[in-house]
Amino acid sequence: MEAKKIITENPVGSSLKSDLDNSIHGSKSLLTPNEFEMDDVLEESVVNIDICDEGDQLVVVDYVKDTYANYRMIEASMYSLLLAACAISSCEKSACAPNPYYDPYYGGMMTTYSQHLLGLMASAVRRIFSNISTALTSPERNHPPRRRSSGSNVYQEEFRCYSVCVARLAIMVMLAILIGLLTLLTWHFTKVYTRTSLNSLAYGLRYELLQRPILRMWKILNSTVEITTSQVKLSEYVIRKYSKAENQAQQVELYEVMRDITWALFSSRKALNSMSIKYRNGFVQAFHRDLRDKNTYYIYSNLDNYTMVEPYSMNRSSPHQEWNDQMIHGNVSAIWYREPLDPDTGRKTGKQKEIPPDELINIAGISQVPDGAASWHVAVSKFTKSPLLSAALPVWDEDRGSIVAVVGVTTALYSVGQLMKELVELHGGHIYLTSQEGWLLATSSSTPLLRNSSSGFTLTMAKDSEDEIIQSAAKWLNKTYHDKAPMYHKVHSATATLGQQRYYIDSFFLNLTRLPMVGVLCIPRKNIMGKVDAREIKTLIILISASVCILVVGCICIFILTNGVSKEMNLRAQLISHFNARRKAEASSNFKSQFLANMSHELRTPMAAVIGLLDILLCDDSLTNEQNATISQIRRCSTALLRLLNNILDISKVESGKLVLEEAEYDLGRELEGLVDMFSVQCKNRNVEAIIDISDDMPKVVRGDSGRVIQIFANLISNSIKFTTSGYIILRGWCENLNSFSYNENFFVDHRALWAAYQKKIKRKGLDEKKASKNDNTMILFFEVEDTGCGIDPSKWESVFESFEQADPSTTRLHGGTGLGLCIVRTLVNKMGGEIRVVKKKGTGTLMQLYLLLSTPADIPRESYQLKFAEHNLKVVLALNGRMSRAILSRWLHKLGVPIWEANEWNELTRVLQELFKPTSYAQNLMYECSEVESLSKEGVEMSIFIIVIDIGMLNISTDIWKEQLNFLDAFNRRSKFAWILNHDTSNAIKIELRRRGHLLMVNGPLYKTKMIQIIEAVIKESSLEQQKKNIMWTDAHERLQIDSRPSHTKSSNESEITETNSTRSSQIEETNQENFTVYGVVSNCFPELTEVRSEWDRLTSFPNDNSNCEQQTHQADQKVKNGQKALEGLHILLAEDNLILQRVATIMLEQMGAKVVVVGDGVQAVEALSIQIEVDNFKTSCESLPYDLILMDCQMPKMDGYEATKAIRRAEMESESHIPIVALTAHAMSSDEAKCLEVGMDAYLTKPIDCKLMVSTILSLTKCRT
Amino acid sequence: MAAVSQLQRQFIEYTTSLYNEGYLDDQFTQLQKLQDESNPEFVVEVVSLFFEDSEKLLNNLATALQQKIVDYKQVDSHVHQFKGSSSSIGAQRVTNVCVHFRNYCEEKNLDGCLRCLQQVKHEYILVRNKLEALFRLEQQILQAGGSIPMME
Repeated sequence: MEAKKIITENPVGSSLKSDLDNSIHGSKSLLTPNEFEMDDVLEESVVNIDICDEGDQLVVVDYVKDTYANYRMIEASMYSLLLAACAISSCEKSACAPNPYYDPYYGGMMTTYSQHLLGLMASAVRRIFSNISTALTSPERNHPPRRRSSGSNVYQEEFRCYSVCVARLAIMVMLAILIGLLTLLTWHFTKVYTRTSLNSLAYGLRYELLQRPILRMWKILNSTVEITTSQVKLSEYVIRKYSKAENQAQQVELYEVMRDITWALFSSRKALNSMSIKYRNGFVQAFHRDLRDKNTYYIYSNLDNYTMVEPYSMNRSSPHQEWNDQMIHGNVSAIWYREPLDPDTGRKTGKQKEIPPDELINIAGISQVPDGAASWHVAVSKFTKSPLLSAALPVWDEDRGSIVAVVGVTTALYSVGQLMKELVELHGGHIYLTSQEGWLLATSSSTPLLRNSSSGFTLTMAKDSEDEIIQSAAKWLNKTYHDKAPMYHKVHSATATLGQQRYYIDSFFLNLTRLPMVGVLCIPRKNIMGKVDAREIKTLIILISASVCILVVGCICIFILTNGVSKEMNLRAQLISHFNARRKAEASSNFKSQFLANMSHELRTPMAAVIGLLDILLCDDSLTNEQNATISQIRRCSTALLRLLNNILDISKVESGKLVLEEAEYDLGRELEGLVDMFSVQCKNRNVEAIIDISDDMPKVVRGDSGRVIQIFANLISNSIKFTTSGYIILRGWCENLNSFSYNENFFVDHRALWAAYQKKIKRKGLDEKKASKNDNTMILFFEVEDTGCGIDPSKWESVFESFEQADPSTTRLHGGTGLGLCIVRTLVNKMGGEIRVVKKKGTGTLMQLYLLLSTPADIPRESYQLKFAEHNLKVVLALNGRMSRAILSRWLHKLGVPIWEANEWNELTRVLQELFKPTSYAQNLMYECSEVESLSKEGVEMSIFIIVIDIGMLNISTDIWKEQLNFLDAFNRRSKFAWILNHDTSNAIKIELRRRGHLLMVNGPLYKTKMIQIIEAVIKESSLEQQKKNIMWTDAHERLQIDSRPSHTKSSNESEITETNSTRSSQIEETNQENFTVYGVVSNCFPELTEVRSEWDRLTSFPNDNSNCEQQTHQADQKVKNGQKALEGLHILLAEDNLILQRVATIMLEQMGAKVVVVGDGVQAVEALSIQIEVDNFKTSCESLPYDLILMDCQMPKMDGYEATKAIRRAEMESESHIPIVALTAHAMSSDEAKCLEVGMDAYLTKPIDCKLMVSTILSLTKCRT
Repeated sequence: MAAVSQLQRQFIEYTTSLYNEGYLDDQFTQLQKLQDESNPEFVVEVVSLFFEDSEKLLNNLATALQQKIVDYKQVDSHVHQFKGSSSSIGAQRVTNVCVHFRNYCEEKNLDGCLRCLQQVKHEYILVRNKLEALFRLEQQILQAGGSIPMME
């Protein structure tokens, strides 16, 4: 039964409620027909409705045909009550903690009730059980969805986890991708940029490396050419000079000169290998440097074999034919010589040696300049390992007709190779120069360039080079470019793989005439990029490992973070769910309170019906004793139940914060006295004194909620009564002005300290309020409720004010009660700005102290009786049973300066009286006869007025002795006034007897100050009249009156004397009074001050005076009706008007016309007043006339204006098909307003101020219409 | 008796002047007619109700018009009430001023409203004084033993 959700229970409650409604409305009920008959339902509902209608008066005579019917009705009411109780408690159960004993408990409750109802309720209980079972099963029915919801909760939980995981993973993956990308990019960019920059650097380097040997080559070639051309020019010059050589000597001289010139040129260029001149006649002159042994040689051919003439006879047209190699080489016979020379000076250093021609050096011949232009070629010499570069230029004769000689210059390319070697040494690369055909000219390696073949030294091809690198490079180039003239353009490659290594290969093409050359550079990649490559991998590894690290760390971070976030999310979700749960709980609690409030209200209605019907039954004489006992028991139970309901209603009202205190002026003292009067009956039965002791300074009129204040004291006093079996209950009250509050108070000085703390708080708060708002006097009213009961254990002093808390749980059985009373009290006291507490008390019993902050109207004067009483020379004898009340009264009177004699039983009273009236005590018998004489002689005694206040309890009523006692008292009647304190159960016989004897001052107990004051005032008045009377001296006729109605007559005559000139009206009344003269009527008139006392009399003893009053009133009413027009006789008119003036005026107007008027203050009330009627109308079988024949509706009203109200009424009427004429009352005098009024469904329209005639005619026309 | 008839004559003159000067109208006569044995103090009662109500309404009006943002709707409803109550006792001049007042309210004319409030106050005090004097006169007549002459 853990049905925590009120919402799931909701339908149960409402179903029960609707069940109730259904049964009231007589439609199909939830109950099965075999249990319940439709007739019953109808009957019940009729009764219910009747009760609703009549409210608390509960006079339902029409439907009570016999006892049986009453039983049925009570049963029905009880049933509906219990249904509501079911609803409440099932709601309560479900709203509160789950109770495993729910069912038995409930059943137990039921049986308690059913015992009380003594079987009358058996069938109802059965039905209720069926209802309970539906109530029980409904939560079970609701169970599966709840479980499903919890399942979905688990699913949601998983889903949330899952989604968190997914989110986490997604974030991680994203991070990984990011980091990976970053890494790759970093790596890529570093790699690419370094690589390109390095490449460009390497390119520059390679270019430089290649450029330099080529430049060197170029330089060598240039210098060679320069030398050659200069040799040629010089040769030309010399030859021209000696062209006409006629003899041998000149010829020799020519050769000598030529030799010198040649030497000069040769020696100026150290790089030259050789320099040769071959003349046309075959003579050869040459200088040669042997680089191996650093010697310089002069080589020349033998002159002997050459003719001197021959050159001049050369055929110019065909010089080539004339001078060919054949001719030269054919001249084998010529002898060649070689003589070593000093390299610096050119002097001959050694002997000339004969050498074979062309053996040492290449002598450039005519064949090498076939077209007469300069020519280049690479030559190979026998003496050097390196190839030689030789240039040849022809020397032309004067007129350039023929070639005279050929100059040849050879330069060793060795230096180029040397340079290359130096250049590439650092880089570990290779460089080589080839001719266009691929012959190696120079390499950086030390491998020989020449190959020793059969035909002597020959140049090697690059691809045949002994150096592997060069060979493979050449091959690679060949392979890559397929011999397709690759040599003519530049090649740069960084990716050639030669052998095992990767190389950069660059080639340049050097285009020289006759001797185009190609330079190739191979540099191992490792040497340039090696470190980069190595670093590249390292960088990559480092980068990757770093990024992996970052990734891992990032993932961990994400995990931790998301973990936190998810935890927070979880917490937040929990928080939200808790918040929701709390809101729901609050809502359900609110709902509970509201429901309780509503239901208690609903419950009271059938409860009232039950009680009313029971009262009717009890009046029935036909009941047997047993039945009577049973019914009175039911009556008591019902009353208890009603009280409980009221308490619940109060509590729930307070809980739901709907308790609003009224602010109205009322007489606090009177209310409290009424309360004590009320409880005194109960007290008297228990032999407990109920005393009220309100100090004189208590403000007479205070502002506040009288009902609630009374409720406080009623609860406290009833509580006290409950626990007090003997002794007294005192309600004390005194007050303090908030501003002039001081501690030097005579009362309860020892408790002051306890209160002081509260006072300050109040004072502050109070002052603030005071400044802020009103000029009323805020008073602190202190009250004490003291009893002599069993008392409360000090440990419980606080907790008794809690809900459902009692000092001793076992007392419930003894005294009953729910423990709600004190809770309500404390809530109310707090609400009024006060506090309540239990205070230590001497002796047994409880002392509750409380104070309230109530404001009093500023200008209410305090009454003071002191002067009045003191000057009248009063003497009071208090003969009262109650010790406490007597003590309090005597103390009070003493303070006022009134002498007091006390007596607490009959004998003491007699003693006191005899002492007081000693002189008269002997002559009791004489009293009647010669009263006048006596009164004269006892002037001194007569001067003071004796008041003897006697409790009726003093008389011995159980036997007939009381008459004797009265006789005894009669003796004192003349000189003293008797005031009798009656009990509620004092029999009529005694009262009549007392009255007969002239004891007219009678008040109902308990006696308290106000009553005392009334008594004293009455006595004073009476005695003053008596005084007057004595002066005037009355005739015999007055004797009768002296016994019977003396005071009244004197008074009335007195009055008439005073108001002689009053209006005729009052004298008329006086007349009627006299006409209707009865003993009691006069009595009632003679104590107008004691009105409430009298009314109590009336109420309790059903004094016949009532009748006379009634008669009087009816008589007056008749008169009035006779006088007035009765145009609207018999009409019931509902007047809805908020303006008090208009209310009054209209009411009087209508009433004068004979209509009955019910006044309501606003539209809501008007609608309510009608809706009740309409509901009743729905179910009344006989179609009686509507309770209201017409509504006068003001248009502008608070809460709901006339238009709205009319609409609401017309809506309600739609169902019942009735139509009440509604007349608008408005100060809007415009036609649009009239239109509006008619539009909302009003029938007519009257403007303010109301014109009487117009109104009457309107009303009559409308009501006539209906009839 | 001479004194009584003197007073009665005075009363009639005074009442007539009130009607002539427009302080009161037929409604007041109707009220007087409604007074009878069952409601001997009816006129006084209603008029004092009117006084109480009026004081309250005038206070409300004054405070409502002192607000920074004047709620004309509220003012209007107050004036409406005032109009209703004054017309019910027949205080004609007050009623008339109320009509003007309502017009100003509809125009939301604060100056006009304030002026009207003064006028209403003035008229109200006038009519109150007049009525109080009338009642005093009545009282005197009653004390002197005469009856209140009815106005026709």
